[in-house]
Amino acid sequence: MKLLRKSCILIMTAAVILTSGCSLESKYDCEFFAMDTVMTINAYGSKSESAVKAAQNEISRLDRLLSVQSENSEIFKLNQSKEMTVSEDTLTLITRSKEIYTLTDGAFDITCEPLTREWGFYSGLENKVPSQQAIENALKGVGAAHIKIKDSTITLDENTSLDLGGIAKGYASQKAAEILKENGVNSALMSLGGNVRAVGSKPDGENWSVAITDPDDNSKSIGTLKISDKAVVTSGGYQRYFEENGQIYHHIIDTKTGYPADSGLKSVTIVSSDDTLADALSTSLFVMGLEKSGEFYSENSSLFGAVFITDKGEIYVTDNLKDSFMSEQGFEVIAV
Amino acid sequence: MKNRIWITVFSVAALLCLGVWLFISNVSSPSRVVGIYKDGSLVEKIDLNSVTGEREITLSGEYGDNVILVSNGHIKMKSADCPDKLCVEHGELKSSSSPIVCLPNKVVIKFEDNTDGADAKTGEIKCIPGN
Repeated sequence: MKLLRKSCILIMTAAVILTSGCSLESKYDCEFFAMDTVMTINAYGSKSESAVKAAQNEISRLDRLLSVQSENSEIFKLNQSKEMTVSEDTLTLITRSKEIYTLTDGAFDITCEPLTREWGFYSGLENKVPSQQAIENALKGVGAAHIKIKDSTITLDENTSLDLGGIAKGYASQKAAEILKENGVNSALMSLGGNVRAVGSKPDGENWSVAITDPDDNSKSIGTLKISDKAVVTSGGYQRYFEENGQIYHHIIDTKTGYPADSGLKSVTIVSSDDTLADALSTSLFVMGLEKSGEFYSENSSLFGAVFITDKGEIYVTDNLKDSFMSEQGFEVIAV
Repeated sequence: MKNRIWITVFSVAALLCLGVWLFISNVSSPSRVVGIYKDGSLVEKIDLNSVTGEREITLSGEYGDNVILVSNGHIKMKSADCPDKLCVEHGELKSSSSPIVCLPNKVVIKFEDNTDGADAKTGEIKCIPGN
């Protein structure tokens, strides 16, 4: 009898060990809508559910703070009043945006709001090609010099309005990743409307594979990046555009000309440990074009890596990503 | 003594069965189970391989209705009252990293399992600039 009991315990213990060894670690998935896009967070580990909920709350809080269209947001109120004492997050982002404006020689510019409005790229507006006069008027308030920061008070010039759409999702993913880690999650993958963020590596220790959308057929991908603990952000003219008189106009406006950037690129993908920078640089390098981006990379190669797809469909990859990028198509490597 | 042998034989057999079952459940043919989500909540899960005939599912949202068409092995957004119709333009659901998304009505149609090797896809979602 004793023997039987011992054997039963042995069998049950073995079964528990076997099943726990074979089954996946506990996982919590969450999908929600914020910042006018769909977001997913997939996190692994026993604490994943509470951690994901905390991260989601943080993203929703930042959405309420930074939205350019919501009447209760700080950015909306600042654009109306032109002078305001702002919260720490808003101050951090505006300060960072000014720094990246300088770093990119003006290719990244949060004062693009009047131009984006003229082109009708906000929800509820009709897309249209503005008159030259309208573009010249909008350009009067464009440029980071029109933003003054004193302590936590922001002052905008009369014709200036801000749009943090090119950087807010990056900041949100950075904050969300920090919250996941603080709450004990070591393995997670987030997509904030196509801004991808990996926390750590996969539960089995492998790198995550992140596909890059084919600009010519969005259901396909043009290549895959193997990454861990990094952000991957893509900007492309294909993501939002309209057609007028047979001409395509996309949503990434070059604030130097007031027209959609025409730099010979279809998309730019940035890989960086700094989500906020990755988000801002994907737009900036799209505006700069391949040649200028190559020079920019030479000076800042420790900050990021990039994958460029040109109008002709060629792929260029910075040399710090050449071993983590795979594509059925051949690609050129950009050296430092 | 006899008991002991039988118990050993039984436990080895039980463990083998368990192992085979776990192996099969992990390496079975690629799943075609699709989830339809409205505002983050699951509306319905459908195994596309077990669908017979055609079926329409209508979901109502802030910007009117979304009509989803399901048939054996296939699912797509047949029509939508939303302003941009990007969900209809998406066509059939083909890969797990490219879900069908209707942002205005907050509808997502996606494969429940990873079917194409990539864990995520960058750059595809067409959001409204200016969040």
